[in-house]
Amino acid sequence: MTTALEGRNLSRAFGGFRALDDVDIAVESGEIRGLIGPNGAGKSTLIDVLSGRAENWSGQIRLNGEDITRLKVQDRRHRGLARSFQRTNIFPAIAIGTQLTVASRALGETGLSDVVEALTLGHLLDRRADEVSYGDQRRLDLALALVGRPQVLLLDEPAAGLTVEESLKLAEILRDLVRRWGLTVLIVEHDMEVIFSICDRITVLHLGKILAEGDPGEIRRHPSVVSAYLGSQA
Amino acid sequence: MSIGESQLGGVGVRMAQQRYSWIFGLAALALVLGIAAPHLIASLLWMSLLTQAVVDMMLATSVGILVRQNGRISFGQAAFFGLGAYTFGVIAAREIASPELALLAGLVLPTVVAFLLGLVIARIPGVAHAMLTLAVGQALYEVAFKWRALANGDDGMSVRMPDTIFGIDSDVFQSPATMLVICWSLLVLMLLALSLMARSPFGQLTEVIRENDERARFIGYGTTLPRAIIYGVSAFIAATAGILQTLYDGYISPQMLHWSASGMAMIMAIVGGPRILWGPALGAFVLFFFKDIAGDATEYWPALVGGTLIAVTLFLPEGFAGLIIRLTSRAVRRIKGERP
Repeated sequence: MTTALEGRNLSRAFGGFRALDDVDIAVESGEIRGLIGPNGAGKSTLIDVLSGRAENWSGQIRLNGEDITRLKVQDRRHRGLARSFQRTNIFPAIAIGTQLTVASRALGETGLSDVVEALTLGHLLDRRADEVSYGDQRRLDLALALVGRPQVLLLDEPAAGLTVEESLKLAEILRDLVRRWGLTVLIVEHDMEVIFSICDRITVLHLGKILAEGDPGEIRRHPSVVSAYLGSQA
Repeated sequence: MSIGESQLGGVGVRMAQQRYSWIFGLAALALVLGIAAPHLIASLLWMSLLTQAVVDMMLATSVGILVRQNGRISFGQAAFFGLGAYTFGVIAAREIASPELALLAGLVLPTVVAFLLGLVIARIPGVAHAMLTLAVGQALYEVAFKWRALANGDDGMSVRMPDTIFGIDSDVFQSPATMLVICWSLLVLMLLALSLMARSPFGQLTEVIRENDERARFIGYGTTLPRAIIYGVSAFIAATAGILQTLYDGYISPQMLHWSASGMAMIMAIVGGPRILWGPALGAFVLFFFKDIAGDATEYWPALVGGTLIAVTLFLPEGFAGLIIRLTSRAVRRIKGERP
């Protein structure tokens, strides 16, 4: 296996607080990697750093071997690194069809029909994004990340705010798309059912550092992870 | 089944195609009305007032396009109105170049300046953006006000018109009857062009950027250049209005660049409805005559204008144009027998 996404010595501080403290992470090609940890562990900060959203950080990032440390967000996207957002990040007053059209103009239409079908957005294409339900908006947020069939997908709590049924359905859709497309995924999620059901490996962050890394079974049994985060969910 | 761009935006595309014929039809009707106007309006005073109103409508449209496509508020739009007027007026009056070149320079310079400025301030939102545009506008005003060698400073300068411009007799530009037709036709053509632009891939992109700059970058777009192009387009429209005003009045003065002119253009755009393409032009038309009538009624007419702005902001957030669209839709639904 080759490494699709690699971060080395990633650090970011807010004042005196080190949100990320010299983190190394390597996600293999085709792998679904879970990123878990308590609130404030640095999960979203890591996603922000890797995707290019964060400022004032240090370290090095490689995508399929290419150094993308200094690339802008849009240039990383064109190289195949996409992300979704913890808080729905869409274009409120624009028709959903138009949003996907504009995105596909920049990124290509590869797999677009699969995305629209899998995320059941077909009947909403002429609706404005601010006129549809929260669940529809979450699926649109994910669809915008999937346009152009990216190679590496960073998902920041894609199931946030969804019901249990919606979360499990989303996990199923993701697992299916990822396997069919051979995507590499780094997913942050608090819903352990989603994480343990779709991830090949899991990285646990705690206070900006990596606490543990392993397959789901290993993580469930890891004493430090159980005491710091999982508790009864193990 | 593969879903392509046309299928993705299926409904939107079909609706857009239906609307194209409406847009061209309306534009043709508006042009015919404009050409007929001098034959329908007997009073020279009214024609002159209407000509002034149309110039204001153009300036308000330039403010509106900035709000509609970029989501940005400008309190310095008169700078481009005045820059166009001064560039044309100074070059033509001092015979530095031919009047045709002066006119082209009056269009190009403000457009390029706004584009370059847009590259710098495009990503700055909110109050900071409004203050920056105010600062740029006032800086240019101060130059025009204090630089006497340029155009007599605060006294302003008469611009002696050449005999012909582009082979057209200069008298044509100073007669209310013909100038009304010219100004109105240009306004209609501009609104038509803006309407087509708004429906184009570029127009869709700028709206997407307006809605969410960050997410637009995360779907692969640089957002500064499209915004800067809109600044340029907006300044081009303002400069056209400034040049028309100079051609008609034969006079330029620093007041053309003053922040109060920018503020009034913004008020006109808000009253009309800046999110609707023709809204700012409607707002300018309404306020131009409202100011005239209110000015006859009381010396405190600015208070009436302010009151109107407050009322529209509170009760008609989409302006008069929004109200017209809402009432029309309701009437159409009623005619079709649908529930309102």
